[in-house]
Amino acid sequence: MAEIATQVEQEKEPLFGKKERKLLIDPINDNNPITVQVLGICSALAVTTLVDKAFVMAIAVTFVTAFSNLAVSFLRKGMPKQIRMIVQLVVVAFLVTVVELVLKAANYPIWKELSVYIGLIITNCIVMGRLEAYAMANKPWRSFLDGVGNGLGYGVILIMVAAVREIFGKGSLAGFKIIGNTPEYLIDSTQNAFFSWYMPNNLMVIPASALFVIGIIIWVQRSKNTKLVDVS
Amino acid sequence: MHSNNYVTIYTVIMTLIVSVVLAVIVSGLKPIHDDNEAVFKKREIFQAVKDYLGADLDKMSDKEVLALFDKNMQQVVIDANGKPVEGVKAENIDMAKEEKKPIADRQYPVFTFVGEKGTYYLVSIRGNGLWDKIWSTIAFQDDFNTIAGVSFGHAAETPGLGAEITDNPSFPKQFQGKTIQDDGQYVSVAVVKGGIKKPSHQVDAITGATITSNGVTEMLERGLKVYLPYFESLKK
Amino acid sequence: MGDLLNIFIKSVFIENMVLAYFLGMCSFLAVSKSVKTAIGLGAAVVFVLTLTVPINWFINEKILGPNGLFGMDLTFLRFILFIATIAAFVQLVEMVVEKFSPSLYNALGIFLPLITVNCAILGGALFMVAREYSIGQATTFGFGSGVGFMVAIVVMAAIREKIRYSAVPPALRGLGIAFIITGLMGIAFMSLMGINPGNYMQHH
Repeated sequence: MAEIATQVEQEKEPLFGKKERKLLIDPINDNNPITVQVLGICSALAVTTLVDKAFVMAIAVTFVTAFSNLAVSFLRKGMPKQIRMIVQLVVVAFLVTVVELVLKAANYPIWKELSVYIGLIITNCIVMGRLEAYAMANKPWRSFLDGVGNGLGYGVILIMVAAVREIFGKGSLAGFKIIGNTPEYLIDSTQNAFFSWYMPNNLMVIPASALFVIGIIIWVQRSKNTKLVDVS
Repeated sequence: MHSNNYVTIYTVIMTLIVSVVLAVIVSGLKPIHDDNEAVFKKREIFQAVKDYLGADLDKMSDKEVLALFDKNMQQVVIDANGKPVEGVKAENIDMAKEEKKPIADRQYPVFTFVGEKGTYYLVSIRGNGLWDKIWSTIAFQDDFNTIAGVSFGHAAETPGLGAEITDNPSFPKQFQGKTIQDDGQYVSVAVVKGGIKKPSHQVDAITGATITSNGVTEMLERGLKVYLPYFESLKK
Repeated sequence: MGDLLNIFIKSVFIENMVLAYFLGMCSFLAVSKSVKTAIGLGAAVVFVLTLTVPINWFINEKILGPNGLFGMDLTFLRFILFIATIAAFVQLVEMVVEKFSPSLYNALGIFLPLITVNCAILGGALFMVAREYSIGQATTFGFGSGVGFMVAIVVMAAIREKIRYSAVPPALRGLGIAFIITGLMGIAFMSLMGINPGNYMQHH
């Protein structure tokens, strides 16, 4: 009797069971697309000067990974093998175009700031990486969750890097002044926040600093989890 | 392996679906995109006279910006000789496109802002920074000589260095009250390093951003000259 | 000519795809473990960028633009057509090279599939549009960006070959230290911006 019960359960495939939760949670830490799978670094660096830019980018990427995984998983059986890659890329490019059009209507200044980096989501290796590694071999719902998980894992690192860069580079967080002088420090030094002696550090504003921050995040993550250490 | 026919049909159907869906989305969102672009551009122009608007520009809603622009902003387009051109709106002039034309064919926008405290004449100029283009809107008082306010924009200057022309409000602020003429002679305004010698025609450069600062000087010198004949004609 | 030379030098040293914009980082980090493979990937990127940027220029100008084949603004199809062109081009090159030069295929072949999703290739096409280059400028820019990528990846590979013998903290080995080296290289390349020939011509 017990055997039959488990069989029924397996056939039902719960909408949100243990496996599904693992799909969502794993990429956020132990199988993070940026720090462990080394995917999608390109655009991660250019948009992490300010938290709100990183946040918009994280949402855009999550949307694209989730829905491209879903679409490709639906299409996987009828997809002609000769042009598999082109079909996948067209699906991704289509979704990215939708994101761009919607963002341009919803928040024009951010669209303008992100400029070519929205388009570059197409070649963000996370998207193609997950399509090949997961969506081509799994059912739509699970693929969708895998996409959401990986998008979020990417977003978490993106926002962490942006937070560090914005606090130390501009003294603010998501536009709110936290430490150091106001940007008007040359005109008016009376409007101080905490630690008014702190001068914003320009090193944190240049793109190279994103690499240092990610390098350090990897260092911390790997000293905690020695399984991830690179032996080569 | 699928047959070639299958691949062809698959490709055609996919292309059709994708283009039709995108075309529908674009036609739905196009009006919003155009509105957003207009608001963005008008905010950028207002930035040069933001101290005279009677309200905080950053807190104004898009509707208020458009309404104020319609009500208090007059616009004229002039040609390379400073003569007004009929049938063109200044807000539709794209300086990036004008720059690619031969000098004699270029057109330039002039906006007149009628504020509570006075009338201001706004002109657009464009030049080169370190990495890419920089541009600026300059507002003059009605003597056509004294600068009332300045705003800058840039495509890709270095954050923390050249990008301070927009990020650090104290840089544009320095220009207020500077004059571009000396006894009727055109001298422009220069961005200089290591101490100002002529206080009415010079402002302090940004530390570490020599090339952007030189670019601003060059842009002002070359860009403002174009508008002088028109200003002369207004004085009469 | 001066204008083209300016774009070339800028795209190799000053606006280096990898070190100034951090595009193409995935393959940059994955394939920079030995100098030999780095040269292979670099050569493939130079080849593909030099040809796809002008091809995409034609597509953007003559098919999608308002003055193009259909006489209307189809630029919303830009992303799709650009990436499809790049993917199709890479596949074509792969087939041609495999047929006519097996030795070249052995050297470059394994890198070609990697190239389609290299951000630097699509980035080249998108920057070309954003900067409104002419056809001559676009080709030069494509070639220069490719050379810039090759320079960066070969230098990186040379450093990584040596660093294997250094006492890097275990948790930082491999990926972590690679990130930090790339950051330092980026800062080193920033000092080259003083040679920007455009500014020289403009101010002298």
